[in-house]
Amino acid sequence: MEKIAVWVEHRQNEIRDITFEMLGKAHQLVGDGGQVIALFLGDPSQKGLLDKITPHAHRTVAYLDSNLKDFEPLRYQAAFADIFEKVDCQLILMGQTAFGMDFAPAVAARWEIPFTTDIVDVEVDGGLIAVRQMYSGKVSAKVSLKEADKMLCTVRAGAFPAEDLPTVSGEVQEITGAVEGDFSARAFVEYLEAAVGDVDITQADVIVSVGRGIKDADNIPVAQELADALGGVVACSRPVADKKWLPKERQVGTSGKTVKPKVYIALGISGAFQHQAGMKNAGTIIAVNKDPKAPIFGIAHYGIVDDLFKVVPALTEKVKELRGWGNSDK
Amino acid sequence: MDFELNMEQREIVKAAREFAEGEFDPQLAMELEKAHQFPFDIRKKACQLGFIGIHFPEEYGGQGYGIFENALIVEEFCRRDSGIGSAVVLSDFSSEIIMRFGSDAQKKAYLPKVASGEYISGGGYTEPDHGSDITFMNTTAVKDGDTYVINGSKTFITNGGIARFLIVLCQTDENASPTYRGQSTFIVPTDSEGFEAVEIEDKMGLRMTSTSEIYLNNVRVPAENLIGKYGRGFYQVLEFFDESRVEIAAQALGIAQGALDRAVAYIKERSQFGRKIAAFQVNQHKAADMATRVELARLIVYKAAWNYDKGRIDPVLTSMAKMTAGRTAVEVCDEAIQMHGGYGYIMENEVERFYRDAKITEIYEGTREIQKNTIASTLVGRFK
Amino acid sequence: MDIIVCIKRVPETAEADLVIDASKKAIDTDGLVFSINEWDNYAVEAAIQLKESVGGTITVISVGPEENNEVLRRALAMGADEALRLTDPAFEGSDAYAMAKILAAAVKDIPHDLILTGVQADDDGFGAVGVALAQMLGLPYAALVTDIQLDGETLTVHRELEGGLEEVDTLKLPALLTIQTGINEPRYVSIMGIRRVARKEIGVKGAGDLGLSEEAVGAKGSLSRIEELFFPPVGEGAEIIEGTMDEKTEALVKILKERGGIA
Ligand SMILES: Cc1cc2nc3c(=O)[nH]c(=O)nc-3n(C[C@@H](O)[C@H](O)[C@H](O)COP(=O)(O)OP(=O)(O)OC[C@H]3O[C@@H](n4cnc5c(N)ncnc54)[C@H](O)[C@@H]3O)c2cc1C
Ligand SMILES: Cc1cc2nc3c(=O)[nH]c(=O)nc-3n(C[C@H](O)[C@H](O)[C@H](O)COP(=O)(O)OP(=O)(O)OC[C@H]3O[C@@H](n4cnc5c(N)ncnc54)[C@H](O)[C@@H]3O)c2cc1C
Ligand SMILES: Cc1cc2nc3c(=O)[nH]c(=O)nc-3n(C[C@H](O)[C@H](O)[C@H](O)COP(=O)(O)OP(=O)(O)OC[C@H]3O[C@@H](n4cnc5c(N)ncnc54)[C@H](O)[C@@H]3O)c2cc1C
Repeated sequence: MEKIAVWVEHRQNEIRDITFEMLGKAHQLVGDGGQVIALFLGDPSQKGLLDKITPHAHRTVAYLDSNLKDFEPLRYQAAFADIFEKVDCQLILMGQTAFGMDFAPAVAARWEIPFTTDIVDVEVDGGLIAVRQMYSGKVSAKVSLKEADKMLCTVRAGAFPAEDLPTVSGEVQEITGAVEGDFSARAFVEYLEAAVGDVDITQADVIVSVGRGIKDADNIPVAQELADALGGVVACSRPVADKKWLPKERQVGTSGKTVKPKVYIALGISGAFQHQAGMKNAGTIIAVNKDPKAPIFGIAHYGIVDDLFKVVPALTEKVKELRGWGNSDK
Repeated sequence: MDFELNMEQREIVKAAREFAEGEFDPQLAMELEKAHQFPFDIRKKACQLGFIGIHFPEEYGGQGYGIFENALIVEEFCRRDSGIGSAVVLSDFSSEIIMRFGSDAQKKAYLPKVASGEYISGGGYTEPDHGSDITFMNTTAVKDGDTYVINGSKTFITNGGIARFLIVLCQTDENASPTYRGQSTFIVPTDSEGFEAVEIEDKMGLRMTSTSEIYLNNVRVPAENLIGKYGRGFYQVLEFFDESRVEIAAQALGIAQGALDRAVAYIKERSQFGRKIAAFQVNQHKAADMATRVELARLIVYKAAWNYDKGRIDPVLTSMAKMTAGRTAVEVCDEAIQMHGGYGYIMENEVERFYRDAKITEIYEGTREIQKNTIASTLVGRFK
Repeated sequence: MDIIVCIKRVPETAEADLVIDASKKAIDTDGLVFSINEWDNYAVEAAIQLKESVGGTITVISVGPEENNEVLRRALAMGADEALRLTDPAFEGSDAYAMAKILAAAVKDIPHDLILTGVQADDDGFGAVGVALAQMLGLPYAALVTDIQLDGETLTVHRELEGGLEEVDTLKLPALLTIQTGINEPRYVSIMGIRRVARKEIGVKGAGDLGLSEEAVGAKGSLSRIEELFFPPVGEGAEIIEGTMDEKTEALVKILKERGGIA
């Protein structure tokens, strides 16, 4: 594969990490002599963001239009249509992110570009074979794309490292856009920052995190007691926040908080990648799960395959003993 | 011959299962069990979703299904939790007497409120001196103008302490011959003057259900609270048993299935001697035997319910179903505890509770022996 | 307001031991319990809440075999008005793109102000059908929706972005939204609901009825193909602590002490 285009994802005047992860993979795929093309759509005032990109792309196509500051898919699509023919590449990479999930399938459908989503690896050997996960990470799949001039993949955040990007002397091709049309059918209004809760899980050294395996709101105290004994806080996976068993600010993962405690204890959490993204950099990860095949064991340092309702009370008891909080009525 | 549930029945099973899985939380069950508390909130939700009184006619607030569909719900609820399930499904106990024998006014006054969750009902048949044999009641009802005055006591009355009304079997003619021809049933509101319920605090199982002694001291009820015909009470109660025994059989079936589920899950999890205890063939065979027995119980319970709904009321089959399911529940729970070892004997563990809750199904609504008498008297005839 | 909700029937796999079947392209679903895709259940509830506030109709559509009637009936019992099942041998092997084509052909014939899909399916999880469908129908759309407010012909929605950030957007009807979990609390199916829809017929349409050629759908009409399934290497990171419960927790306490887990 000689030419790969990487969609530069930015929001609130910051380039998002996924962009660098994709640039890294693109370099690896094109190898020497190939070309990595960065695609940037944005407002002229955001041009400064390109400084971080251009050193790592052989070519940067920057489409600048004062209406492209914030993502609006209909307008973005019209802008992309302006340059679509000019972007000479065989593969487009976008992030499997809130942006990519809202944009990529529409682009693929509009231009009938063979595509697949949420890939964690890709091989080019004759055709393109993407590796993606299914069943919440329990099974991986090799997916082939139909032969075509252009293909599209969305890439899972964190699947590829963003370090050690090659530096190349890239040219910048600036295009002054003037996207015309009425795009008010879907209009951006504003961002809403996450609510601040009573407990800031990002500051904690010890996190006891519960997933759907906790089964019910009434069982949260089981985890809370352990957290109290350890001097930590209770956090959760998404379903627990969805069901309002814990407030949303306690959610760890892509759509929740990213945490980096010294110790992260995952109780009854399967370890979907969206969850992993929020906690994989914890110092030590301990997982308790009934299912020995749960993907969480893939990133945990220590695991116990057992019922959390047996392990946790026993562990809490031990920690309390150690602290000399022994149960007086025992 | 068709052994499949129809589409609606499958949907009812699924709906009941989803509800029970969503609401019957083991931790909550443990708390209710320890506090001897009735699961009022869960029952209210179950009523709002139409699970209670599913077999009442639509015009009386029910869903117009049969006792078969009711049995399916009872099975699913008790499978998920023997304690919460039993408490919830018994909350309309004996309302069927009004449904089958009551006047239109009585049905309108009580059934919709039971189905909607406003009223809990109960039935008082057993007396301190009359359990298996209810052919004579010490509790009397005497007509006085346009009221009846009731005196006596009942014991072991499910929901006695929380019901809005009880169906009470009384002797209305002490000189009738045979004595049971002098019995009648009455709707007795529990807020009547002279009505007292004393909770029987400690019992082996069914700890989330209220069981009471009832004292009736010159309780006056309007004459229109007489259900059906004067002097037909005993017959009504026996007929009622033909359907209530199916419900109890379904309760037993659900408890058995629930214990089996837990036992199978446990042996796959627990290791001893370096391997899962499921690797020991003895445990596999136990599971196979238990599953077979549960399936046998299911067949006869379903058949009894189905027959009833077809209008073929068959006390023999009903007794067989109740006896079989009750025994199955007790024995399967026993084996489930055995498979759990010491952990099974501990209260924290659900099978321990299932075991205790299972036993009642062999006692109330006619003991196992009484079921056998019913079967035998038809099969062999009556010998003195 | 007339709403269409696309729903998928998926196996529950979170606690199941999965087996890849002989074709190596699918998992063995024998013995697995199937239910409505979790995201789609939220979408059905969202539709019902909108209908309860402004009136209208709800049609649920599912592509798949007769077993899919289960999830369609479930949605009817929850409060949907009509159900349609799309099935045809030609649909086999459809990817998300082909799936969107099938759905697009079907919804064209049904009046709609709003189409809802889930963000993604629990099983394959492409997260692509909804947005591709919107594109094919030329509808404004928003993905990852966690809140919906309706004001006349305008929807104000919240989209979930990363890190707890949300985005507020407005959309003009007709539109399509892909619904994220947690947007509401899906109701239980009631016996009243089951009874109400007991005699309801579920419409069935095949490729021909939808005016789709065999080439347009299924493997032929797809842009991607699953070549092989395999188990990702798991457990490589975790050292699994074995022993009695006492030994396990003892080992954990030791690790916690060493790693700063006892603050
Ligand atoms: C035997 C078999 C072979 C397959 N072969 C392939 C293959 O070769 N290539 C490939 O890419 N995929 C294949 N698939 C999977 C494929 O059919 C996916 O279901 C399809 O790609 C849609 O992706 P998704 O289910 O992940 O949908 P997502 O895009 O994740 O789903 C989003 C939403 O779309 C809607 N939706 C999705 N599916 C349906 C449906 N069936 N009915 C109604 N609404 C729906 C729902 O609202 C859902 O929430 C195969 C599946 C099977 C069972
Ligand atoms: C756009 C998007 C964003 C998302 N963002 C996030 C996010 O920020 N954070 C997040 O967490 N998820 C997020 N998700 C959801 C994610 O895909 C998973 O669905 C979710 O993480 C699963 O949560 P879980 O592990 O708690 O539940 P499940 O996957 O259902 O796993 C439950 C686990 O508990 C185990 N278990 C059950 N009972 C017991 C017991 N008694 N003892 C021990 N173990 C037990 C089971 O074996 C199972 O592994 C997002 C999804 C999407 C589509
Ligand atoms: C928790 C609980 C809830 C209950 N709820 C209610 C309720 O809501 N309403 C109500 O009216 N009652 C209720 N009962 C009472 C129950 O129905 C009776 O306990 C039961 O019918 C047995 O009566 P008994 O206890 O008097 O036992 P007895 O009749 O004294 O029986 C003792 C033993 O003798 C055996 N026996 C008796 N007669 C014969 C015979 N002819 N042949 C062979 N063996 C015989 C019995 O099988 C039993 O083994 C409840 C009981 C309990 C424990």
